[in-house]
Amino acid sequence: MTLQNKLSKGDFVVLAEMNTPKGVDISDLVTNVRHLKSRIDAVVIPDMDNGVMHMSALAGGAIIRQQGLEPMIHVYGRDRNRMALQGDMLAAHVLGINNLVVVQGEAMTHGDHQNAKPVDDLNELDLLVMVHSLLKGRDLAGFELSGKPEFFTGCQVQPIQDDDHLEQEVKAAKAKVAAGAQYIMVPPAFDLDYYTQVLTRFKSLNVPVIATVFMLKNVGMARYISINDPSSKLPESLITRIRKSKDREMECVTIAGEMIKELKTQVQGIKISASGWEDRLPAIMDCAGL
Amino acid sequence: MITAEQKPLKEIIEYISPYNRILLVGCNECVTVCAAGGRKEVGLLASALHLNCLKQGKTIEIKELTLERQCDPEYVEELVSEIGRVDAIVSMACGCGVQSVAARYKETPVFPAVNTKFMGASVAQGIWEERCKGCGDCMLGITGGICPVARCSKHLLNGPCGGTSYGMCEISPDVECAWCLIWERLKALGMEKRYEEIMEAKDWRPAGGGGPRKIIREDLSL
Repeated sequence: MTLQNKLSKGDFVVLAEMNTPKGVDISDLVTNVRHLKSRIDAVVIPDMDNGVMHMSALAGGAIIRQQGLEPMIHVYGRDRNRMALQGDMLAAHVLGINNLVVVQGEAMTHGDHQNAKPVDDLNELDLLVMVHSLLKGRDLAGFELSGKPEFFTGCQVQPIQDDDHLEQEVKAAKAKVAAGAQYIMVPPAFDLDYYTQVLTRFKSLNVPVIATVFMLKNVGMARYISINDPSSKLPESLITRIRKSKDREMECVTIAGEMIKELKTQVQGIKISASGWEDRLPAIMDCAGL
Repeated sequence: MITAEQKPLKEIIEYISPYNRILLVGCNECVTVCAAGGRKEVGLLASALHLNCLKQGKTIEIKELTLERQCDPEYVEELVSEIGRVDAIVSMACGCGVQSVAARYKETPVFPAVNTKFMGASVAQGIWEERCKGCGDCMLGITGGICPVARCSKHLLNGPCGGTSYGMCEISPDVECAWCLIWERLKALGMEKRYEEIMEAKDWRPAGGGGPRKIIREDLSL
């Protein structure tokens, strides 16, 4: 059963985020996918994650499809204009990539090619309109397509910093759903009570909500996130827990697994982001009982 | 200078339709020179808006003012005595002026009456052409004083594309090919050798690729 069918039926889904390589060696990606093949519903492939040049998500999606899993690729407007984006969407369909998630690109100034010229021809809403147009068999210039592509398209909301920001993002998500988003992906937060409140607001928009569980790797990373990302709501107790553990790495795996267990009953799907530690994903899923 | 053109009257009327007392503010700088938003245009627009209201059997109060520079807080401050007496402000300045007024008077809605177009130069009476993109890293010193970023349709930095034809650009017979102009100019200066120099891919950070730009002159700061 496809990811779209499962979410439409109300089934619970598990997604794993995996980056394409910065280069052409795809062995780690393929190995990690093989280890998870029977345990997850789709692999989410970011495109130039964090503004860092990688192999394109389109190629990553094709590799995932070759491995017999469903890919879901990020689509955003920073690096491509509407012509390139539409061309890539048509390519995605013929390569067997039908799950899209429309996201915002990281600012060029945060990436590894800071001197590049940002394109930003289409924003997230424009992209959803673009996908809708392609589904109807027309491009954005109104020309008829030779064969209609099929996509299952969702949107992502921004990390929520406070209650006022939550209101803004709920309104933005509502607009995205009206523009054609079929599911909502919510960025991670580490305070589960707070995260539950956030997820509840997005669930009210009547499309499947996918929560994100982000794997902390060590005390330094947890501390950095806690200080620099106010949306993370990362409690001090979590940092202390990792610090006091005899096996800190395993503690991080356990924490991610516990979060999945807690969130599983609240949302229709979980995306697990291990940011480079994808080989630990099976262990996280074991802890989560998935 | 910054060039602008007045917006369609219909759009301006839509902006101000909920309001009865309007402050219509012009600017004595660039928009005066390109005849889009100076004192004269303020008067003309006020008349047009009055006429439209009369046609509809309504009345409207329009206070006309033209500031020396709307992009300068010192002059924007001159509006302070009028703010309490109006429902909305219509600015005939460029986008910089509109934002300066909106930033100063947060409680009053501010609407633009012109479309800011480009940084350009006057090439004949009543004709302005784009000359500068504000890319932040001027290369006119090596391109014979002709900017390929602003004047080449494809912003090419290493010679023309195949769309150049007898000095004109493929996009329109009215548009000169910037690289033909550069070549002619370098020849006239005896600097043809420069044409062989390869320009590296441009760093777009100074052009705004890294976000809104800012100049800080500590020697001038108070």
